[in-house]
Amino acid sequence: MTENTLVRPRRLLVIDDEAIVGKRLLQVFGKMGFKVEVFDSPAPAMEAAARDPFDIVVTDLKMEGMDGMEVLTRVRQLNPATRVIIITGYAQSETAEEAFKLGVFDFIPKPFRLEQLKESILKALDELEQEDHVQ
Amino acid sequence: MQKQLKKLWTELRGRLLGATQPLTEPVLVFERFRRVLNSNNQSLEIIADLGEKLGGGYIFDRHYIETGVERLRGTVKASIDGLNELCNYRYEDLYNVYDRLTGELELLLAGREDRKGPQILALDVIHFLDWEIVGGKGARLAEMRQDPFLQVPDGFVITTKAYHDLIDHNDLRPMLDTFEKLLADTGAESSILEEERRKLVREILQADPPPKLLDTLETAIETLAERAGGPFSLAVRSSAQEEDMDFSFAGQFRSILNVKAKVEEVYHAYLKVVASLFSMEAVSYFRLVLPNERQMSIAAVCQRMINARSSGVAFSVDTMAPDNETMVIVGAWGQGDAIVEGHIPTDTFIMNKDDLPVILERTVVSKPQGRYQAETGGLETKKIEPSLREQACLNDAELLLLSRQVKHLELYYKRPQDVEWSVDESGNLYILQARPLIIAEGALQNRSLPEALADYECIVAGKGRIAQQGIGAGPVRIVNGPADLLDFPDGAVLVSRLDSSHFVKVMKRAAAIVTEVGTPVSHMATLCREMRVPCLVNVENILSLLANGDEITVDAEDRMIYRGRVKELLVYSSTATMEVGYSYEFRLLRRLLKKVATLNLVDPLLQNFTVTGCLTYHDILRFVHETAVMELVSIGRDEGKLLHGHLARRMDLPIPAGILIVDIGGGLKEQAPDDGVKYTDITSIPFHAILQGMLFPGVWHLGGMKVGMRDLMSSMLSAPADTLDGRYSGHNIAIISKEYVNLCFRLGYHFNIIDAHCSKNERDNHIYFRFLGGATDITKRTRRAVMIASILEAFDFNVRVKGDMVVARCGNMMLKEMERTLDILGRLVGFTRQLDVRLDNDSIVEQYVEAFLYGNYSLVTDQPAVL
Repeated sequence: MTENTLVRPRRLLVIDDEAIVGKRLLQVFGKMGFKVEVFDSPAPAMEAAARDPFDIVVTDLKMEGMDGMEVLTRVRQLNPATRVIIITGYAQSETAEEAFKLGVFDFIPKPFRLEQLKESILKALDELEQEDHVQ
Repeated sequence: MQKQLKKLWTELRGRLLGATQPLTEPVLVFERFRRVLNSNNQSLEIIADLGEKLGGGYIFDRHYIETGVERLRGTVKASIDGLNELCNYRYEDLYNVYDRLTGELELLLAGREDRKGPQILALDVIHFLDWEIVGGKGARLAEMRQDPFLQVPDGFVITTKAYHDLIDHNDLRPMLDTFEKLLADTGAESSILEEERRKLVREILQADPPPKLLDTLETAIETLAERAGGPFSLAVRSSAQEEDMDFSFAGQFRSILNVKAKVEEVYHAYLKVVASLFSMEAVSYFRLVLPNERQMSIAAVCQRMINARSSGVAFSVDTMAPDNETMVIVGAWGQGDAIVEGHIPTDTFIMNKDDLPVILERTVVSKPQGRYQAETGGLETKKIEPSLREQACLNDAELLLLSRQVKHLELYYKRPQDVEWSVDESGNLYILQARPLIIAEGALQNRSLPEALADYECIVAGKGRIAQQGIGAGPVRIVNGPADLLDFPDGAVLVSRLDSSHFVKVMKRAAAIVTEVGTPVSHMATLCREMRVPCLVNVENILSLLANGDEITVDAEDRMIYRGRVKELLVYSSTATMEVGYSYEFRLLRRLLKKVATLNLVDPLLQNFTVTGCLTYHDILRFVHETAVMELVSIGRDEGKLLHGHLARRMDLPIPAGILIVDIGGGLKEQAPDDGVKYTDITSIPFHAILQGMLFPGVWHLGGMKVGMRDLMSSMLSAPADTLDGRYSGHNIAIISKEYVNLCFRLGYHFNIIDAHCSKNERDNHIYFRFLGGATDITKRTRRAVMIASILEAFDFNVRVKGDMVVARCGNMMLKEMERTLDILGRLVGFTRQLDVRLDNDSIVEQYVEAFLYGNYSLVTDQPAVL
């Protein structure tokens, strides 16, 4: 298991309109050394991302204003290196397919074990590190 | 499986066309029974699934909860439908219970559960999960009152139901709705909000009492008076649903102290407390900190006020230096209100946290004033007489007692505590409040947590499954049997091979629990979640890595076990701003599960095992299962029909057990013969395991007994003679499928039922065992029951005994454990056949229990028979 012991702590953005999700992830990933920002709606989250890009974005699908797919598209426009993970309680295979076509890193239906999301994020971290090395 | 049944059914139907179909047709019975079993299993699976999410290792949302509840409603209804079909519609009143429960669940989901129940509840009758109507503070106080180690003043709670009644009786509901809408609207104009707020407060302060409240209040006060045995006054304090949780509303609501014990006065104090829910401070705090939460309601705790000689506060962790592992006690003369507010000079004591805490630092200041009860009500400031001003407000003995209680509270609630205390004129120490201590993150050390953790030896990483999240540290205490629980040290980490529900006896005192075997849906795991004990199960081979006394730290969030006491993790855990268990979704799920999963119908031998005794969905499922099994036993076993209809096959076993098998799907190999089925032909997992036990060498005694007993013995031993005459009684019938067995034994005068479901899915697994013995006198029969019960308890069954009848259950175990337990049950059945005549006195019972537990099955034949 790779630990996040880099010089620059990785930035994680969490967008979910259910407060508990953000709180849990803040707790868990804060413990691992990430800089975590939590938003319960997409608009302010996008502003934050525009100001200072995130390494990893975890977002819900169904939210007021902008849905997860749009978040996915916009985030990758702002910074193609950002890895986006979609978590959703309304998972369907067509949605997952579409998301992968749009370049999502992972698609995890709720409820899920935190372990799963952790593994996914660590995989994303690995990829980012590889890219950093190459550059 | 379907094909087989269908074939039989078509044959039978053909024969019966024209005649009415009695429900006793075996095929019909089996099919319907199978359906009840299925919907029961589905329901239990959903319940187990919901329960597992409370362990903390999951992310779930409201949608998950709603979907789960909806599915559960369907499967529970299907179970009731199935039972009624099986039993000829004798249990239609189960639907009334079901409808009522479903209604209550809907209220819960709609967030309106705080509107049901009594207006007033005495502290001593409140259950911890009555939060929904007594509020956080009330629930905590009620819980602490049950703790024999603490002294908490007596009292009662005016519940949120009373609050809603007050609102409705005074026609304030529309005003309240408007206000709550404005509150939730972030764009609302603050001047409008303020105006509405003031209107509401004015109305509440003048509100008329709802019907019956004053009478009930009077009775409650009288009861307190009787128990107080002398004059007293009351403290009326707020207890809001969100209070004392992560976002602490400390100080935002009101406490009214020294209220005369008269109805009018208490009622007016109550109104002030209710109005404080809408105070300016409370409202702005609420908006800032809980923007997404639904509306709050408020309860009020009314307790006997302590005539305080000294009072103060204790923190179980020094917030300025959390890794010192010390606690801080602060106090002054008189009542504690000014101390809590920080308004007067206080003595400070720093204690360590040993078993007998030592005073590390003592700072005694000059205390010129103190707060005391005023004649006219409320408190007043009085001058302290000069001789006492420089004296410490607590002596050493009192400090020791208080610090031990604070340590106890921290261990009990598994996190740092902020405790309010008072000592009265006679030197009695009272705990007035205990809530989670919030520690600012700035108090953390400079290194990041992952860096700090690298310094510690990791005993086990990433193994096991999380039954309950959390972090705990302490010395290892290996538990091999119930005896090891008797002297379990406070704060130790319980390590064991099996996960036993017996561990509940020490859960409140354990720092954490680790087992080699077990699942997050077992009974023990459910208890760990209720008590919030950090727990990892299924950590293979952990026993080989640990010895008694080893200091370890269990991180049941990341599934890591470290050697030593990892201070950084403990500090992290105490500073974590979120107590997951207190968040709204968690509380909702907990409350739902209380209504759904709590089992009240535990003992089928008791009077309350009736339809009206069903208080939860789980009760209904239990009732359905028990009733269906009994129905199957009584009507599915007309041997004539079974044998004539070629539905049953005889077994050919090395022991004269005389078993007939009915396979309802996948229980037998394809090539199994129609007659003389062998042990090796059995593919039914549970039945195979039971037979394995029965066939264990020495268990089923074939040797002769002493002369004189032979007649009696022979009647018990003899197998029924060969015959396909439909009249034959004396066969034992096993209804089996791949994962199921329902085995009914009549062996001589013994009557056993084993009903078991055994599959890879631990949530579906259960074993149900019922034993009734005849022959011999009642004393021996009772001894036999006691013997069987002792053995079963040693294997972690939940056992009930009534006279000579034993009913036992266990379940939710993994496949291997299930098979092992069924094997043991098979051995037990064989073993007990022999013993009636030998159970001459109680000590023999103990001998036989021990013999069985040590696998010494031949003890019976070794002993000379007593004539």
